[in-house]
Amino acid sequence: MNRGSSSENFRRILGRVAPSDFVGRTDELAAVMAHAAPDNAGRGLLLLMEPSAGVSELLRQAYDRIFNQRNEVIPIYFAFTRNETTAVSAAIEFLNTFLQQYIAFRRNEPFVSNATLTLQDLLELALPADHEWVEQLVESYARLRFSNDDKALVRFCLGAPQRIPAGRGRPLIMLDGAQLADYLNGVVVLGTEVLRVFGRGGFTFVLAGLRRQILAAAHEAECNFELLDLLRLKRLSAKEASLLVEHVAQRQHVVTSEAARDLLVQQFAGSPFFINSFLQAAREKRVALNSYLDCERLYVDELFGGHLHRHFVYLLEEISPRLETRHLLIRLLWEAAAGEDQVSSFEVWRKRLHITAGELQEVLHRLHVQEFVNWDGTSVEAGTGPQAWKDYLKTRYRLDVLGEPRALVVADALADALKRAPHTMARHYKQIARISLREIISRFNTQRVPAVLFDYATFSRKYKGLEPERLASDLDADTEQFKLPQTVHLASCVAFNSDMRQISEDERCLVAHTFEDGIYSDAQEVVWLIADLESKLEVDIEVARAWVERFESLAGRLGFSRFQVWLISNEGFTEDASRLLARRKAFGSSRRQLELLAARISEMPVNSVVHTGEANEFLVVVPMGEDNELIAASTAEQIAKRLTFRPEAINQIKTAIVEACINASEHSFSPDRKIYQRFRLESDRLVVTISSRGVVPTNLNGASGHSDTTEAAEERRGWGLKLIRTLMDEVEFERVDDGTSLRMTKYVRDTAS
Amino acid sequence: MDKPNAPLVRSHCVGTTAVVYASDYLNRLTGEKIERECRRQLDCGCRALVIDFSDTKLVNSIGISILLGIIDVAEKCGARIVFSEVNNQTVQLFEMLGLTRHVALAKDESEALLTLSGFETTPIVH
Repeated sequence: MNRGSSSENFRRILGRVAPSDFVGRTDELAAVMAHAAPDNAGRGLLLLMEPSAGVSELLRQAYDRIFNQRNEVIPIYFAFTRNETTAVSAAIEFLNTFLQQYIAFRRNEPFVSNATLTLQDLLELALPADHEWVEQLVESYARLRFSNDDKALVRFCLGAPQRIPAGRGRPLIMLDGAQLADYLNGVVVLGTEVLRVFGRGGFTFVLAGLRRQILAAAHEAECNFELLDLLRLKRLSAKEASLLVEHVAQRQHVVTSEAARDLLVQQFAGSPFFINSFLQAAREKRVALNSYLDCERLYVDELFGGHLHRHFVYLLEEISPRLETRHLLIRLLWEAAAGEDQVSSFEVWRKRLHITAGELQEVLHRLHVQEFVNWDGTSVEAGTGPQAWKDYLKTRYRLDVLGEPRALVVADALADALKRAPHTMARHYKQIARISLREIISRFNTQRVPAVLFDYATFSRKYKGLEPERLASDLDADTEQFKLPQTVHLASCVAFNSDMRQISEDERCLVAHTFEDGIYSDAQEVVWLIADLESKLEVDIEVARAWVERFESLAGRLGFSRFQVWLISNEGFTEDASRLLARRKAFGSSRRQLELLAARISEMPVNSVVHTGEANEFLVVVPMGEDNELIAASTAEQIAKRLTFRPEAINQIKTAIVEACINASEHSFSPDRKIYQRFRLESDRLVVTISSRGVVPTNLNGASGHSDTTEAAEERRGWGLKLIRTLMDEVEFERVDDGTSLRMTKYVRDTAS
Repeated sequence: MDKPNAPLVRSHCVGTTAVVYASDYLNRLTGEKIERECRRQLDCGCRALVIDFSDTKLVNSIGISILLGIIDVAEKCGARIVFSEVNNQTVQLFEMLGLTRHVALAKDESEALLTLSGFETTPIVH
């Protein structure tokens, strides 16, 4: 536990959750705490956040920890809120908060921080040692308050911490600017003014706010960047966000299933703000979140009238205060986002919104700060922002612009969200499964690896069928080595050519800028063009040729003078395809080769957990792979013997289970890499349910999907299901929210029947 | 650890016929081992293959898919192929998946060799 929160006497003051419940921002909290160290006296820390990334609780937690440390650092936390309509009122509120928190710390009385007190009350509460300077401060304020110099008043209020006499503590000012509006009414631009006061030295402070706003304001205020540190607050990782959902749901007493929690993490892209708001709504409406339907119903409710709705309404009102313009803006934003070409000119926007260039500049600046558009001064790119924003925009467009019936829009929004949920999760699972590709390539750093790992034909000839240990030792002994280049930049192909989006998923088609031997010269520069192909069998020559030509064309268009094509396919390439790759000097690897390469340049994760069952129902969980289907099969055999199944029937059950396990392992992109097996004994039957989390295999739905295989080959790989259906008496697929469940029943029959 | 050139599965030659023994569980890995050994034998000049399943208790669809690949390879080389001592359960699976249309089944290794004897050519040593 962090210093400052470990004491039994720890007092929660501003934090809304207990330190143990604060998850997901551990490193950032440590950075803020470290900023309070004497070495950082006089320095500023800018916390640059993505919209909806959440920062307020982080600062409140830091406040509590510093307060509880009871050393010379006095924490001051102030949040700029939307309630303050002018820079002057915000600055006055800051002055009040500062004095209140200073006195609370000096008196070691946390409740003073939260009390409602006037300046006069505070003066009376000030310790005798502080009374004189506090009194002077209050008097000076009273004089300035009624002058007509707003700018001087704002600077006076914000600069108040500098008036603390030496030896009375060192303030750490933490400013929560997540809602900081630099376009508050009045003549003083608050964001700039805050940075003008704090950013020119003398203060130890932390300022958190929207990344596009804070950085611009720091430049505007001519801050001394030598005295500023930057920390970027990105969205939480899936793991952190998952933990957050779990903690918040527990705190809010909202019942959730694991599948629902995972969906929320993905749907809200790990945004603490959205996650907290959503779970708060669930608590308020007493809704349990056990299924995708539960989640999406609440989500749609939220879009139409809950926390999410209010959040976007506030933002839109701030962005465009005039109702008429707002109406046009919703129309323009949605039509631009939904259209094919999302980029349009400033002039087009001005004409569509019927406003002056100056007004449009303000609107675009605000949209840009919230990252609802990308505006570079001349052109505007729409279609950005979180999914919730896009959904909100669409509903407003249909209701306000098209005037469609509310019931229809609600029903469509719910149907769309439900249809999207499995795809959202499938994309996530595939990303987890494929993440190694990006990681592997980013780790290329002049290591030497067996060259055969990039040559499927040779690998297949020399190593296919070898035991893993033998394969590893033979590879170690392989004398033909290839020196990997050093990767200096890695991005999705889509980032270079948006047309690629129609052909491949972002993470499966990459462009890596590399240098051979780590030498940065033209001669050593090689661009790797990498595609991970979707295929259940060896990729054939037509597919391989299409990809090689696609990459050659891309390299030509982008001016890559030296490039290396590398195709990866689960099962490698046919002989024809391998010959073609060799002729075109392209690399080709199977998934197995990729894993071997990964093992040589990084550590791969390992999974394994087994649970046991109870009564006449047995639950077995086995990790995927490593012939673990045999464990399931022998368990089934032992259980089936209790029902006097004939040996042939037991064999049939075993084979069906083996096939079901293989199917689950091969097709699910399972996030936990586990197969859940439930065996239920009834008087005349054995019911086996095999389930796994992850993607629903396309062949279960009867859809063909996109795959680069022939029909005959597809059919061959569909044998597993065919066998299961033939060997068992009843087979039923149940599509669950988060994967599939295969229920198989075998009846006991006497020999005569 | 295996010697570098040791075969991955048990096998022996009778004239120009290679007999390859499948293990107790025919899956991807063991199927690939059989495939590799069959290819090796064909490369060495064998004109016929017997795959013996006397130890095989369980097979899966991937293993069967690999067997079909071996049958294709043998056909391309003009080699005959016979499966011997396949248990009833496995025969059922082969029938379900149409494998028995492409390959002869024999009761045991002797019967398999007898079936193939008509195709015997000049013996080779390897």
